[in-house]
Amino acid sequence: MIKRLIAGGKYFLGLHSPGRNVRVFPDDVFLVSYPKSGNTWTRFLIANLVYPEKNPDFSNINELLPDPEAMSKRDLERAPRPRILKSHQYFDPRYQKVIYIVRDPRDVVLSEYYFDIKRRAIAENYPKHEFVSRFVRGELNHPYGTWFENAATWFYARRGDPRFQLVKYEALQSHPMDEIRRIASFLGISADPQRLALAIEQSSADRMRELEKKQAHLWSSTRETRQDKPFVRSAKAGGWKAELSERSVAEIESAWGGLMREMGYELAASNSVHAEMEHVEMERR
Amino acid sequence: MIKHLIAGIQRGLGLHRPGRSLLILPDDIFLVSFPKSGNTWTRFLLANLRFPKEPATWANINRLIPDPTGTAKRDFDRMPRPRIIKSHECFDPRYPRVIYIVRDPRDVVLSQYHYHRKIRKLDDESPLEQFVTRFLAGETCPHGSWGQNVATWLYTSEGSPRFLLLRYEDLVADTGRELAKVASFLQLSAGPEQIAQAVERSSADRMRQLEKKQTDKNELVKGSRKDLSFVRAAGSGGWRSELPAPMVARIEAAWGPMMQRLGYELSAQSSRQGRNYATQGVLSGRDL
Repeated sequence: MIKRLIAGGKYFLGLHSPGRNVRVFPDDVFLVSYPKSGNTWTRFLIANLVYPEKNPDFSNINELLPDPEAMSKRDLERAPRPRILKSHQYFDPRYQKVIYIVRDPRDVVLSEYYFDIKRRAIAENYPKHEFVSRFVRGELNHPYGTWFENAATWFYARRGDPRFQLVKYEALQSHPMDEIRRIASFLGISADPQRLALAIEQSSADRMRELEKKQAHLWSSTRETRQDKPFVRSAKAGGWKAELSERSVAEIESAWGGLMREMGYELAASNSVHAEMEHVEMERR
Repeated sequence: MIKHLIAGIQRGLGLHRPGRSLLILPDDIFLVSFPKSGNTWTRFLLANLRFPKEPATWANINRLIPDPTGTAKRDFDRMPRPRIIKSHECFDPRYPRVIYIVRDPRDVVLSQYHYHRKIRKLDDESPLEQFVTRFLAGETCPHGSWGQNVATWLYTSEGSPRFLLLRYEDLVADTGRELAKVASFLQLSAGPEQIAQAVERSSADRMRQLEKKQTDKNELVKGSRKDLSFVRAAGSGGWRSELPAPMVARIEAAWGPMMQRLGYELSAQSSRQGRNYATQGVLSGRDL
């Protein structure tokens, strides 16, 4: 009862984090992705592009591109407009202008695995294949659905819409200049090549690693996590080829192969492994 | 300020409407649809099937099958389980079991136009064409466009044993057969007599009669125009005579492939356009 009244009081003062219930303004832009898909990197890229004079780093990134999960309702509503908000939500019809970052789920699961070790959600020797199964079943400890549910709801509801821009993490890695130019034009920013190059430079993995060393205690996502493990990890695409077993790859591909192919991710597992996985899936049902 | 204080106290006491913050239980069942797709009728059918001792009316339906945006949190906590809950939301991964009702968007747009006149959101002179434009853009309600709402559910959930897709048109054509499907999905043991009774108690005629007597007992109709009724034609295919061809074509151009996938036949001209869309890759040819 007391707990509920305190929650009621906080609510009345606007001190709670609204999360999915964030109030949306018509001029908001949302930077959306499934967790561990390059959202923080893209946030830095955009912050360095839009607010270079603020010297974006881990101490002010939550203010520059606000996060409804980490900030209070009051601060969110006081943020300068137009806001560029970070989000991991599955489809929300209230979001009008949306950049959606998608990343190969075979890499997403690895990134999530290492992040869950960092934030002490799993032990360091937790079996990877077990983690992959939980990832596919949507049993990770966050409210954003599975990779498939998250990506499919945005993709099938909004593709072709001029106010929706799909950005692939892998393209951002291989052709950062082209992708950041596309993002700038979507945001209506006329930026010369020099400014684009500077934003990329200021958001490089090396620079973000250095900032993290000094500022991990200043940022909501790293504050209470293991400091012997980095948040900015390999910052590369395709790590799954060396780190995931063939069976785990097949498990992901037989669950979500259709959408992966549609997104341009080539499937790797052989047909026989797929057939076996499909059999396992049917048994489970 | 006072308003905020009252909201805070209401929240402390559980008198607020939970909306999207509703605490979902693992055995909950959600009855989901885009607005004006037969959700209220199906609510009556399900309530009459599940609670045969208390025939559904406009006065008790919000308690029997509540709506998180229209019923207090406290009432949700007191419901017998498993709960059946109404929703118009787009895909939500937290919903454990879902009955999704889909209806031909060419009929949905007419039904919504009529409803907005009834609740005085539109006046009688307001042009239908303008409404169709807003309907296509998803601006006529807070639940996305018809295409968005349907796509988020269909592409994520079709084929799942925890998801039952019902077409409004099939419900109209053979209500008993479709309700039997729902009963088996819900694992309710309901014989033909119970099914027939639920169908009878939820007939358009009975719902119209109840509406006349209870019009101020339900927020869907409270304070709305008395000269227009909530329960209208209760049929399918009205668009063929009521929706002008250019508007039909616009709807089919926007959502043709998904309509075809759901078995809604396109009028000849726009079905060609639909195919062009698909081959251009604007809309995928997958699963169509």
